[in-house]
Amino acid sequence: MLIFAASDKGGTGRSVTSANLAYQRALTGDDVCYLDFDFGSPTASAVFDVPDARQAAEDRGLHSYLIGETSEPVRIDVWADTEHRVLRNQPPGAGRLILMPGNLSGGEFATTGENLRRCVDLLLRLNSEFDLIIVDLSAGRSYAVEMALMATAQRELSGIEARWLVFHRWTRQHVEAAAGLVYGKRGILAHGVASGHDEDALRGAIRFVRAAVPDPDSALWSQATPTQSAWMEQCDTELKQLASHHGIGYSQVLGSVPLEPVLQWREQLITDEDVLDSQIATMETWQALSDLAARLTDDKYWEEA
Amino acid sequence: MATPGRSARSVLACGEVRTGLLPSFQALDGRAAAQLLRLRADEHVRVSERPNLYALSPEVLTGVDCRLPTSNGAKVRGVGTVIARAALTEGRVLQSTAYFSAPADGPDVRRPWGHYLVRPGVVEPFGKLPEQATADGVLRGGGRGDLDLGMISEGLLAQLVRHPLLDHKAPFKSRRTHLRWAARRTPEGQEPALDRFTLAQDGLRTVELRVPESIPAGAVAGLCEDLALHDWLLTTVVHMLENSRLGAADGPAAVLALRPAVDHLLHLWMPRAHVDRALGHLWDVLEREPGFSRQWENLRQRIRDQLAIQAIPLLHQALSTR
Repeated sequence: MLIFAASDKGGTGRSVTSANLAYQRALTGDDVCYLDFDFGSPTASAVFDVPDARQAAEDRGLHSYLIGETSEPVRIDVWADTEHRVLRNQPPGAGRLILMPGNLSGGEFATTGENLRRCVDLLLRLNSEFDLIIVDLSAGRSYAVEMALMATAQRELSGIEARWLVFHRWTRQHVEAAAGLVYGKRGILAHGVASGHDEDALRGAIRFVRAAVPDPDSALWSQATPTQSAWMEQCDTELKQLASHHGIGYSQVLGSVPLEPVLQWREQLITDEDVLDSQIATMETWQALSDLAARLTDDKYWEEA
Repeated sequence: MATPGRSARSVLACGEVRTGLLPSFQALDGRAAAQLLRLRADEHVRVSERPNLYALSPEVLTGVDCRLPTSNGAKVRGVGTVIARAALTEGRVLQSTAYFSAPADGPDVRRPWGHYLVRPGVVEPFGKLPEQATADGVLRGGGRGDLDLGMISEGLLAQLVRHPLLDHKAPFKSRRTHLRWAARRTPEGQEPALDRFTLAQDGLRTVELRVPESIPAGAVAGLCEDLALHDWLLTTVVHMLENSRLGAADGPAAVLALRPAVDHLLHLWMPRAHVDRALGHLWDVLEREPGFSRQWENLRQRIRDQLAIQAIPLLHQALSTR
């Protein structure tokens, strides 16, 4: 299955969250491949803590592959190459976790012709090898988003299930921007239909992920004054109404990720050690990520609302 | 100057085979296999049904003019054509090979294309060919701008995989393997020999051979396809057994994970089924060390034993409810 991770703007934690989803799925035994299509600002090597990937990707990254400069985009085996103390030990029963980094440089490129064919070839090939392929797309209406829409509309990929996650922060502006990214005039749906997608099918394959959502009930906010708590509750309710009004209400949401300092500041994978031993990350975050990871392939969450 | 159409003696043949599961829910029958592998309108696909279903595509040529990969950094330009072809075994395992032969030396100027076109599969060096360095270079993989056999065979594989016959709903996930081979040519009368077979990382295998001149490069490619096929079977079933967590996972789950091996792979083991008779005995080397068939037999027995054990409770159940 293909999972495309898009976001309305930068700073939604899209990369770090989708990398965590890849990690969680690999832990449960899936063979997972993570593609960094965030050309120009690739962050995956930092998230997975594989510093060597940056160098390797300079001339053999995904961007070089798509424009035909290399025939084999570089693959990083995260379990083997990471410098992360915990990740280095692949747990028994875990599947493969492969990172295909993007180039450090390189941004725009044509999304037609040979480049598109190479993208289709790559996805076909990875699909025969991996249970789950997570593609991290750059923020907004980018070339990467366009390429993903065009590629999945090709006949060759029609037999392969593709799902879209749209990450947005839980604020007024972000809710509106995320709705615009999907339903807007030049949004994902409109663009997808222009590329040959069936509108209803594509709409049914898109779910939203609310990121950095403060949970008023969590321990983090237990010191808040009653006035603050009431205000937070009210904001939360208003945001829910706004989201629902924009067509990204509850039924379109795959899950929420709590506001978590470790995700915000460290921008790395959250391991069970962070939760259980050093306890710098909260159990709620771990649970949210593992729920989200399970729902990626759980059809119950992808049925028509 | 050589007579047109007749090549100078070749001293080296090199190739790369890529092997993977056909991305299709059902195995293809002979007719569909022929349709898939019809790379050229003017030539037929060879399909044989005994001792197993095997289809071999016609050959397609790729013109090349680039540096040859060398292990010692020597810069040798080569011009000519590389042959690519694809094979499908039992409608399940798809392989593509790219290979070429090279003479000991060539002229220092590029000749008209007609010269190269009448010598399909021959790449002529500019000047003298550093034989061993080129063989090692091919096995190690070239640098940027060097002749890339992997790219040619991958290109053919990608083209086949886009065929409308294929639904991309393969019954299980599996990795492709790459097998690179280099055969030094020996004088007539010497016995062919398989000097080394190595397993490298990331699904890469290398084979070093010595083969007398009289045996065509296509036959060597056929042997290497056969080796690659069986190595892929071993690699894939070993991986499947590892993932099934036999002994750790509970019975039914492990059996479920092994089922695709029984359905799609166990019957494919048939070394030398389509290998040139003069080269078939090279398999003996691998049977002795590391023992390909021995390992396969062991894997197969393990899978069968597991299935038998899982069946015992069912039998009890059936008898007690009578």
